[in-house]
Amino acid sequence: MGGLEAPLLLMRTFWRKYGLAYLFIAPAFLGMLLVHYGPMVQGVYMGFLDLRLQTLRLYLQAPFVGLENYREILLNPESTFRAGFLYAVRTTLLYALVVNTLNLSLGLLVAHLLNRPLFLRGLWRSLILLPWVVPSYVVGLLWGFMWLKEGVINHLLVDVLGLLPQKPHWLIGPLTFVAIVLPTVWRSWPFVMVTYLAALQTVPQELYEAAKVDGATPWQRFRFVTWPMLRPVTAVLLLYGLLGTMYSFNIVYMMFGHGAGYPGEWGDLLMTNLFRNTFGMWNFGLGAAASTLYMLLSLGLILFWYRVFREDLRAR
Amino acid sequence: MREERWLKWGAGFLLFFVLAFHLFPIFWMVNTSLMTQLEAATGSLFPKAPQWGNYLDIWRVLPFFHYLKNSFLVCSLTTAFALAVATFAGYALARFRFPGAELFAGSVLVTQVIPGILFLIPIYIMYIYVQNWARSALGLEVRLVGSYGGLVFTYTAFFVPLSIWILRGFFASIPKELEEAAMVDGATPFQAFYRVILPLALPGLAATAVYIFLTAWDELLFAQVLTTEATATVPVGIRNFVGNYQNRYDLVMAAATVATLPVLVLFFFVQRQLIQGLTAGAVKG
Repeated sequence: MGGLEAPLLLMRTFWRKYGLAYLFIAPAFLGMLLVHYGPMVQGVYMGFLDLRLQTLRLYLQAPFVGLENYREILLNPESTFRAGFLYAVRTTLLYALVVNTLNLSLGLLVAHLLNRPLFLRGLWRSLILLPWVVPSYVVGLLWGFMWLKEGVINHLLVDVLGLLPQKPHWLIGPLTFVAIVLPTVWRSWPFVMVTYLAALQTVPQELYEAAKVDGATPWQRFRFVTWPMLRPVTAVLLLYGLLGTMYSFNIVYMMFGHGAGYPGEWGDLLMTNLFRNTFGMWNFGLGAAASTLYMLLSLGLILFWYRVFREDLRAR
Repeated sequence: MREERWLKWGAGFLLFFVLAFHLFPIFWMVNTSLMTQLEAATGSLFPKAPQWGNYLDIWRVLPFFHYLKNSFLVCSLTTAFALAVATFAGYALARFRFPGAELFAGSVLVTQVIPGILFLIPIYIMYIYVQNWARSALGLEVRLVGSYGGLVFTYTAFFVPLSIWILRGFFASIPKELEEAAMVDGATPFQAFYRVILPLALPGLAATAVYIFLTAWDELLFAQVLTTEATATVPVGIRNFVGNYQNRYDLVMAAATVATLPVLVLFFFVQRQLIQGLTAGAVKG
């Protein structure tokens, strides 16, 4: 008996001290385990299984095929899956690069314009923010309709403004890339702008006064006063943006809602590609293996991001 | 002075930009929702006569009310559950020091790095397996795929991590001295939490609730797999409708307008707190 008392006492003090904290995080922890981490581990394991419609009921007991799915994705030149997957990797990376570049530059520019006493500034901010509130599936539907060959964008460009000699097919071929980038930027840059605006308002006004006294040009004031203050915010915004674009689904999925639903080489993102190939072809093992590669790709990007912005994150 | 003039022009251009380009798609959506089928298909800018009947047709041609009801049900339940779970965890992270706190905070963030498809595949297969197992071993009809319960459970767990992060920020901005004073007066830590801090955090809770609702309202990937026609939410319903009736853009835009309205209204109620809560994560860290 005597041997048990000390550990019991220890447990009781531990519980007294931390019990409430553990009780408070328990439901969230359980949910994350059941819906995020548990399935993620299973998903990685399923990448090594021959898991399709016929073997679906076997769950994790489906035939183990080792690296066969990975070989199919990476090394089999005849695989149709492989070709589509590689196009999707390229398009997704390019999409992440272009969307985030546009978001950050447009957001920063307009935040500067709004960071001054302005007539009805609150109203302008709200109006700019409006597209950010529109559900992304509505954005995909709406722009998919606007991009049609006889749609309103071509009507304005060709019939009204006469900027182009004839109406292009926005939803076929390389132009598809423009057709998926612009709606994404349209919906996401307002949030970048509002965040930059909030950050600009935390820059002490005295710094600008001092720079002005020293004769700094507007560009120098931006480069040496504003930008160092904005780098940490930019880091966080870029992280949000990278995750948002790497895992973008709704806009493309809704924009190509007709027929086979294939957005083409320049419109298909990894999320839409893997969703179609996994739940359309019922090949879950292959889909899980490709999804694992997908996560590794995003992790690689985030590591790169971390290397670039490490100092800024530490400075906070 | 030259600089001032440049800025004035910049601001002027901005106003033009906002009016002309930025808001055009929304204006266009509402306009198209009032067109005839022919006008919508030929790229007209304005309806000749507003077809208010479109807004009645969407209830009949699509079972739009059914989808709206499903979305409201799923999103409200998800918001309630996720907010409750995240409030406790967010408070614990903001206030308590306990072994594993760092690890927990880190694992909350890492959930955001997992691509949805990587846990959608196992979740789908796992749910089907559990259904089969419950039927054969227990003789119970448990429905996880195609039921409200399965979707609400998944969504709840899905939106908890980001909500924890937002709420942690709100709780951290409330002075610690308030709880300390309450505990000096004899309150237990739990009483200090729910009598003193929770009421003060209400604006933050409301903003987080709206954020969860907005995000759940916009969820399509999981809904596409985990619902059937009986439980289809608005995006799933509209997507199926578009797949079947390619030329009814007038109706699709009317449905899209109605689908946007609830989140727009909710957003304007808590705009300030929501923006503050979301940007604080980036500005203050």
